[in-house]
Amino acid sequence: MSNTAESTVVVKGASSSRGALRRLIKLIPLPLIPLFIFLTVFFFLPIGKVALNAFEDNDGAYTLANIRLLFQDPYRLAFRNSISLGLISALVGSVFGLVIAIAIEKRGGVKLKKFIASISGVLANTGGVPLAFMFLAAFGPEGLMITFLKSFGIDLYEWGFTLFSFSGLVIVYSYFQIPIMIIVFSPAVSSLRREWQESAENLGASRFAYWQRVGIPILLPSFLASFLLLFASAFSAYATARAMTVGNITLVPLVIGSLLDGNVTINQANLGYALALGMIVISILAMVPYLFIQAKTSKWQQ
Amino acid sequence: MKKILENASKKLPSTIILSVTAFFIFLPLIGATEFSLRDGGPDKHSFQSYKWIFEQSGFKENLGITFQVTSLAVILNLLIMVPTVTWLHISGLKYRRLVEVVTILPLIIPVVALATGAQTALPSFLHNTVLELSFMYVVIAMPYSYRALDIGLSGKPLNTYVAAARNLGASWYKVLVSVITPSIWPSVLAALFLTVALSLGEFTLAQLLHWTTFPTWVANVSQENILGATALSVGSLFFAWLLLFSFTFFGTNKIDRSKDEE
Repeated sequence: MSNTAESTVVVKGASSSRGALRRLIKLIPLPLIPLFIFLTVFFFLPIGKVALNAFEDNDGAYTLANIRLLFQDPYRLAFRNSISLGLISALVGSVFGLVIAIAIEKRGGVKLKKFIASISGVLANTGGVPLAFMFLAAFGPEGLMITFLKSFGIDLYEWGFTLFSFSGLVIVYSYFQIPIMIIVFSPAVSSLRREWQESAENLGASRFAYWQRVGIPILLPSFLASFLLLFASAFSAYATARAMTVGNITLVPLVIGSLLDGNVTINQANLGYALALGMIVISILAMVPYLFIQAKTSKWQQ
Repeated sequence: MKKILENASKKLPSTIILSVTAFFIFLPLIGATEFSLRDGGPDKHSFQSYKWIFEQSGFKENLGITFQVTSLAVILNLLIMVPTVTWLHISGLKYRRLVEVVTILPLIIPVVALATGAQTALPSFLHNTVLELSFMYVVIAMPYSYRALDIGLSGKPLNTYVAAARNLGASWYKVLVSVITPSIWPSVLAALFLTVALSLGEFTLAQLLHWTTFPTWVANVSQENILGATALSVGSLFFAWLLLFSFTFFGTNKIDRSKDEE
């Protein structure tokens, strides 16, 4: 009985969405239809499903209960951890990346720049289990680095260091965060023309005044944009987090992962959607300003 | 002489910074390589852990699955993106902004969230095959492949190419395959390599949609043998890096050269 009711609802939903689809197709020129159908099926429908199911209870009725759960522990804690991990990792990545990007620019050399651009592109895409094991092997209790430091009398583990911790995650993440920063921030550094500094000096500006009035105002928008991108990257990282933590740190992607793996209590079937929706909202808050600033600044950086 | 010294001292801070950076980049790598070569203890080294990889029954099988998923993703990606972006440049100029915005969206949405929706929203016939991953990989590669092709097509006298080819009696298909694609070959390669690199290492969607691919197999098998897992990690890192590095280093060379010719 309930089955037929459900299926009529489904059919109704399908026919109305088919009508909407037909109207949409009329708006879109023929050559774009393959792309839009593809994106609709494999991107917009899944995202729409997340947004709808987040507000439904188990019987498909409208509810805010799932969303309300996000503001209660352990989910509130997961969001707090993920957001602080994103912020701290973005801070570490952007500050080190800034210093390195400026050093690359000062050191000049087209070949060096090209080499570093290639290396950064490679490192920015490294993650997951391989990255985790690489750090374990180097910084684990028996790793090369730890034994090397021990021979100098420095025992990091005696100082309470461990890779399986929040700070351990920040260190591991910086292995791809700093390269991302170098990639997105280098164009801004290159756009600081040497002539500007010279003309500022010729007009009697001190080095400090140059940075205060010219350098920093030019670099700041790109720096903020890059920071936001790094935040989003660390906030939503799943593979590396899963490989590095042993259930000791609650992060939103990991909670969603364990819900999708079937660790669901019956009355919270749609909680995963609410968590995913929360992630989407936070990522949009970070990524939309990033893309906006990038589009503005890339015009004059060419 | 004085000038050289002055120059050197000016460059010193940046040289130090870059050296320290290089140290931190290569150190974990060297550490992991050394660790993966250990045989029993820290003093004896051999390739034993690498041999272990090839003895695992899942190795070949899952590598094969990942190659299949990757191949389909690459083919789909090029089939959809090359004609679409070409059309946008020839006669769909006013839609470029729209497509630009739409194709950047997969970069904004976290993959974990996308996986949550995909688990229930995908057409049911796709749920039975691991190749459903290929379709998702096309989506998450789209922000990169669109940009790669867009850069390649910008500044090319496409209308001239098309008019010339059509006047000589070429069909649209022929124009696309034998005129336009070869003229933007570096960008097509870029889109292809980006999709390959992304598909080969993708873990999140594969894991959350409950498929075993090479990366998820590595994650599982890594719990059995730490040395073997490190060898696997080092091996797959070197493989992915070789692929990506050869592309970014030689690929950008090619793109630069094509710019010089114009």
